[in-house]
Amino acid sequence: MIENNKDKYIKSDPYFFKIIKISSIIMIIFILIGAYFFDAPLEEKAEPYNAPNPSKSAWFLLWTQELASYGSYYIYLIILFFIIYMVMPFFIKKVPENAIWFHKSYKVINILTTIILFIIITLTIIAYFFRKEYWLLGF
Amino acid sequence: MFKEFIKHLFPRVTIKKNLKFTYTLCLGGLSFTAFLILIISGILLALYYTPEPNNAYNSIIFIEENVSGGKYIRNLHRFASNTFLVLIFLHILRVIYTGAFLSRKYNWVIGLFLLFFSIFTGYTGYLLPMDQLAFWATQTGAELIKILPFGDYIYNILIPDGVGGRLTLIRFYALHIIILPVSIIILSFIHFFRVRRDKGVLPYL
Repeated sequence: MIENNKDKYIKSDPYFFKIIKISSIIMIIFILIGAYFFDAPLEEKAEPYNAPNPSKSAWFLLWTQELASYGSYYIYLIILFFIIYMVMPFFIKKVPENAIWFHKSYKVINILTTIILFIIITLTIIAYFFRKEYWLLGF
Repeated sequence: MFKEFIKHLFPRVTIKKNLKFTYTLCLGGLSFTAFLILIISGILLALYYTPEPNNAYNSIIFIEENVSGGKYIRNLHRFASNTFLVLIFLHILRVIYTGAFLSRKYNWVIGLFLLFFSIFTGYTGYLLPMDQLAFWATQTGAELIKILPFGDYIYNILIPDGVGGRLTLIRFYALHIIILPVSIIILSFIHFFRVRRDKGVLPYL
């Protein structure tokens, strides 16, 4: 099979290994340099009876905190969408065999994903930059 | 010998068009690279960190001020963890936008668990410095846990004596340095195996 498809296949060593090596080195250098310029935050020792106002969660959970501030039951929406996305592939049968960017057969999923992504980023920005004392909006 | 071992993990030949940069953007591999940096920097931090509520903060100060390169290693761990999470999010987006998750459904499920474990690892690591930021960010996150179905039950297992309590800190520490990373490593290898099995970028050849 391989002999009949010489143009289709390529030796992993060196071609594929070269890509792995280069991308890993670039990522390692990026992180090593980033760590030099960005200090890990460290505030005063924790005081359990001295809550900051507002109290914000970790950046990657901020959008869930913002969402929960509109109503705690919105958290169930996250669980619902997580489950929908998890089982989605088991219900969609007609798909291209190879991965293709923005193929029309999953256009609806792509649009839905973009909307969800936009909502997550917006909620994160609101919570990170515009939530002031008592979780009130401010500039 | 090590090089030969690594070589044997990969197929002898690869599909040429799959090596095009825009096909995967290397995001999965880059995430794993960031994860390896997290393991190495995490091990180094663990040599000095004290998972005890009264001493945890002081041990971080000690690492930053008295350990040679300690501050940089802590920065490295923090920056790598942020990069790791961003790369995983981007990898998930790539998999959705290219429709790859539709044809490799089992690996998609494993990938979502990897995302969940990665976020959970980030959350458990947040408490460890025991400064104001760590304490209250964890406290706020814990309030979110309570809203979940069976939230109180999960909260009591995870945080038996309140955020910053002795038992809670030990549990967060154990989850952060052993339970979750080992789970991520195991799932990652199943993930890589399925990439080949499902004839992804590394098909069985």
